[in-house]
Amino acid sequence: MRQAVILAAGEGQRLRPFTVNKPKGMLFIAGKPILQYVIEALAQNGVRDIVMVVGYKREQIFDCLGSGEQFGVDIVYINQEKQLGTAHALTQVQSVVGDEFLVLPGDNLIEAGTIADFVNVGPSAMLLKEVDNPLRYGVITIEDGLVKQIEEKPEEITVNTINTGIYAFSRDIFQFIGTELNLPDVIQKMLAQGCAVGAFETEDTWLDIVYPWDILSLNNAVLRHIQPTLEGTIEAGGFVRGLVVVGKDSVIRSGSYIVGPVIIGSNCDIGPGVSIMPSTSIGDNVLISPFTEVRNSAIGADVTIGPGSIVQDSVIDEGCTLGGHFTACSGEVEVRVNDAYHGVNVGAMIGAGCSLGYNVVAQPGVIVGCYSQVQASKVIHGKLPDRSTVF
Amino acid sequence: MLLDCLKRLEYRGYDSCGVAVALDSVGMYKDSVRVEALKKTIPEMKGLVGVGHTRWATHGEPSRVNAHPHLDCSGSIAVVHNGVVTNYRRLRHQLSSEGHNFVSETDTEVIPHLIEKYYEGDLEEAVRAALNDIEGSYAIIALKAGEPKLVIARKDSPLIIGVGDRENFVASDVPAILDYTGRVIYLEDDDFGVITANSIKICHNGTEVTREGQQVHWSVEEAQRGGYEHFMLKEIHEQPRVIRQTLGEYTQSADPLEDLEAMRDASAMVKNQGVESVLMLACGTSYNAALIGKYIIEELLRVPVVVEVASEFNYYRHTLSRTLAVALTQSGETADTLKAMKKLREVGCRVVAITNVVGSTASRIANQTIYTKAGPEISVAATKTFIAQLMVLYWLAISYSKTDARKLANLLMGLRQLPSKVQQVLDSDDQIKEHALFLSRYKNAFFIGRGISFPVALEGALKLKEISYIHAEGYAAGEMKHGPFSLLGRDAPVIAVVAKDNTYDTMLTNIREVKARKSPLLALAEEDDEAIAELADSVISLPGIDALFSPVINVVALQLLAYHTAKKLDCPIDYPRNLAKSVTVE
Repeated sequence: MRQAVILAAGEGQRLRPFTVNKPKGMLFIAGKPILQYVIEALAQNGVRDIVMVVGYKREQIFDCLGSGEQFGVDIVYINQEKQLGTAHALTQVQSVVGDEFLVLPGDNLIEAGTIADFVNVGPSAMLLKEVDNPLRYGVITIEDGLVKQIEEKPEEITVNTINTGIYAFSRDIFQFIGTELNLPDVIQKMLAQGCAVGAFETEDTWLDIVYPWDILSLNNAVLRHIQPTLEGTIEAGGFVRGLVVVGKDSVIRSGSYIVGPVIIGSNCDIGPGVSIMPSTSIGDNVLISPFTEVRNSAIGADVTIGPGSIVQDSVIDEGCTLGGHFTACSGEVEVRVNDAYHGVNVGAMIGAGCSLGYNVVAQPGVIVGCYSQVQASKVIHGKLPDRSTVF
Repeated sequence: MLLDCLKRLEYRGYDSCGVAVALDSVGMYKDSVRVEALKKTIPEMKGLVGVGHTRWATHGEPSRVNAHPHLDCSGSIAVVHNGVVTNYRRLRHQLSSEGHNFVSETDTEVIPHLIEKYYEGDLEEAVRAALNDIEGSYAIIALKAGEPKLVIARKDSPLIIGVGDRENFVASDVPAILDYTGRVIYLEDDDFGVITANSIKICHNGTEVTREGQQVHWSVEEAQRGGYEHFMLKEIHEQPRVIRQTLGEYTQSADPLEDLEAMRDASAMVKNQGVESVLMLACGTSYNAALIGKYIIEELLRVPVVVEVASEFNYYRHTLSRTLAVALTQSGETADTLKAMKKLREVGCRVVAITNVVGSTASRIANQTIYTKAGPEISVAATKTFIAQLMVLYWLAISYSKTDARKLANLLMGLRQLPSKVQQVLDSDDQIKEHALFLSRYKNAFFIGRGISFPVALEGALKLKEISYIHAEGYAAGEMKHGPFSLLGRDAPVIAVVAKDNTYDTMLTNIREVKARKSPLLALAEEDDEAIAELADSVISLPGIDALFSPVINVVALQLLAYHTAKKLDCPIDYPRNLAKSVTVE
């Protein structure tokens, strides 16, 4: 296969507030958007002809990936006006794809090894993986190397093999799609008509991200393999240990202590006296004031954290200004997303552009919507909608 | 291949185009259409050497016969030209009386005929002789059937050589040849060259010289649209990144860059060497940036600043003692600005150039150059280069500001927050689209502001008129009542730019006055501004920021407003009618 279709139009509604101003594929994990991992995996396997279906907040994708040249690929963008489903998304590319092509979701983090063998299989085929929590996904039963049955979100666990959403198709697929909106339904249709769909398994990385706190587990998984590089400056008295990436023009000031795996973007100002503990990723242009500890967190670009703060197990999106003495510790909480409650161990999740006064305490599991403002010395908890004001 | 290269030059001019290719004879094809249209009708042509041209008309309307390349009587010499031959009428008269036939109304056509007149077997000599007769500006490429070489010359119009592997290129600007090579030689004025596939010979005033090549770091990628519908939208969206990069360059680099040195030197001149005033020169959008620069420099450096439109500066006398001149030009090739700069250097004034193009003519005239490093800007309407110019001006002022340390720390914090605030404006695109819908129904519009928001209003009006063809005017809010009020009414919407500074209260009064005359009023204001929300008919809500940095936020919002209005009206946004990107004529 030399061509791939990436479905990147989705919003990722359950990932709010982080998907309010960007599509799911543009969530940053260890310094790179998820889409970039997909593209790099394809490029490393020689697939350089890419068609990307975009929709929700597509300018974010254009701005970051452009024509794909920097990754050695060629990207053609197709706009899906209404996000109706994966099969509907695929029909949008009918006029630009060749005879055979791969289909990949733009919001699952993969590596080159994940699809290394799959790029050579013929249509039609699906890539599968064994996971610990198959209940969220479509569960697949295999017989003789072919797909026997798909069961979406089953009641009980019978098998652990799930659908990664990565397919190998030929143009015949457009006949099968018809009016179906989702690809798993199309596969069901194919099976019902007696078509053979190859079943292949991968044991390599395939990470899904559904809820805001998943960002931290993906961060951890990826940061384990980063290559340490130092493009910035470490002042005398600054200390760095383990797998640490320091971006261009960043400064680690005296008395700061960085223990990897940690990735720090470019033009950051860390310290003095700041402690950054694993596994943490910090975006570009971030200012972390003295006597702050950041532990196991993901900090977006342009964030400013005031002095004496504690940030643990938290996700802070771009452009937030957190006043001095900001405290976000983690704990076991029940977090509500849509109608379900999830028991997780997490700190604060703060959307883009928020402005918090000094001495704000964020209870574990708090979700703060974008562009919110919190007055000094407030305690915040639960779920705050976008543009909230707490005073 | 020539047409693909020409496509990348269309931002310099695009009312007509043409190519000529030579082997034993010259094949030529041209028309008054865009390159894409020419591509569809052009027959296949083969040759060892060829020239192409896209035109921005100065003499002679856009038409097939006026398009370049131009030929001589025998049809064996082809010439493409950028510039103006000021004595073409006399030359044409003389050549006609010597038996030459002219078919077009252009000034350029005299050139191939002059070459034909002096041709005695050597194209190089003939071109040299022809150039002696010509007055004016030029970047010329000439070829002749049977001679596999290009003879080129430069005077006042830009020309570069792309150095390839057993192939060489000559072009007005770098993007034309980036697909083929990244190694570029910038020619200087009065350079003369002969280029073959394997050799490059450059002479200056008769003696052979070697010119240093430079590796261009732009990729073709940067000069491509990458998913966006228009280059302008792409460039608007690049602005947070451009701001972040400028911050990175100037805040805490471990090694001072050349630019940082230039910046410090420029600021030092103000602080130490007894510079008593600053003179800023620019055209168009850069002029608006200079006006904002005036507020910034006066506020932070407490030095009087005079801002002049470059084309007007050339025509009256100045007394310039202890003045630092700062010229802003995105392309570095703006003829009006270059002329003013040369004049200033002649009288011994120190000149600092702020430009986006490395190696451009402005950088060679100025004592010091600060590069805005925003990457190539393809869209004719300037967006990211304007913001980048503002960033340089902020840095120039902040580096050696005379205000106290606490205020300075706040300013630095404000700068650091800019990328995310600009991103916020970009993310609130949808609200701006609605206002564009409203604006697109009108034929006129007024943009008003006070203080630092006044140049913002000017820029907002300029963007709107450039790409949507709506007759927009920027006005100081205080000036409206001294005349323009008579134009207000239901069909003249007013866009008010309001900053939270000492002009706020008077702006409220102005808005009331406008509303009393029944003009629909759209205000740019901070998110939680209730007073404005009550007064205005509609509001573009923007993130709060220190008034000094409000121009950055407000201009980005106005860029988007102009873009969406033009889009609603189906205008050709990247290539507005009658405009060219880099104005290399007076």
